[in-house]
Amino acid sequence: MRLSVAAAISHGRVHRRFGLSPRSRLDLLRNLVTALVRHERIEAPRARADEMRGYAERLIEYAKLGDTNERAMRMANFWLTEKDLIHKLFKVLAPRFQPHPGSYTRLLQIPNRDGLDRAKMAVIELKGNPFPPLICPRRNTEKTLINQLLKGYRQDMQQAAAP
Amino acid sequence: ALVVVFCPLPRLRGLLQRCWGRLERGLLPGFSGGQSPAWGPALAVPAPACLPEPVGDTRESNEAPSFLDSILWMAAPKKRRTIEVNRCRRRNPNKLIKVKRNIDVCPECGNLKQKHILCGYCYAKVKAETRLIRMEIRKKEGGPFNTPTVETVVLYDGEKPTEKDEGKRIIERARKRPSWFVQN
Repeated sequence: MRLSVAAAISHGRVHRRFGLSPRSRLDLLRNLVTALVRHERIEAPRARADEMRGYAERLIEYAKLGDTNERAMRMANFWLTEKDLIHKLFKVLAPRFQPHPGSYTRLLQIPNRDGLDRAKMAVIELKGNPFPPLICPRRNTEKTLINQLLKGYRQDMQQAAAP
Repeated sequence: ALVVVFCPLPRLRGLLQRCWGRLERGLLPGFSGGQSPAWGPALAVPAPACLPEPVGDTRESNEAPSFLDSILWMAAPKKRRTIEVNRCRRRNPNKLIKVKRNIDVCPECGNLKQKHILCGYCYAKVKAETRLIRMEIRKKEGGPFNTPTVETVVLYDGEKPTEKDEGKRIIERARKRPSWFVQN
């Protein structure tokens, strides 16, 4: 039970504060979500990208309910400021992510920004985008025959050189 | 009633006497009019009712408030900090720059990168290629707000759309496919 509603204590509060006011924070995040749906891969400061990720994934979950759903349409209407993206959301992104149960975005960290502020940046992208991949999954080549033979040869050389 | 308060400092004593005087006047407002207060005795009793003032203090009570009452005291260092103390403060580990131990070599290009952050060179490479792809998309779309309602696929020189790319919009790039962009 909540014993005190002290405004100055922020234990357990998960929202970050951005911009000039709570309304401006929502506008900032709304612009980022619109940009993500339009471009499918954007760079942003780490805190904003992290905050926006939750909103973007919930929007896609709403879109999966279908565009006949009144609540889904109202959500998409609020969150996407460019109205041709509503068509893209319901006709392209919802079918693309239908088989996935969750986690439609990927958040990766970037070296600090080049400008004077050296801000921590992150790149957030929708999975399944047409652009080149940011990380190539590397196959583990330790167990191939040639590498195992070379490893054995190196060990023999070290044992011969050591004593 | 006699009340004697011994004050070691003459100026403090003057301050105290003034405060006591204000208190008295506040407690017995009837006295200022000249008559005795309503609850006081009708007869005046010959006994000292105020603090006995020592001889030396009469001139002090006529003085203007001394400058020690009206000044605003501010903090200032008492002694010069020695170089040894200064060194201890400046070289304390929490003031030194921390050594980073999470720097690795990127296996693709060989540049240095932090372990939890993408390699700067590889990211710049991918960013340049996405920029060129986006320019092609802009040329194809023509104006603003023309986002298509189908998926997009990028094909390089000499590649044909497979049966997986049936209903998708094709973006052509006039170069050979780079090795790090695997077609799927």
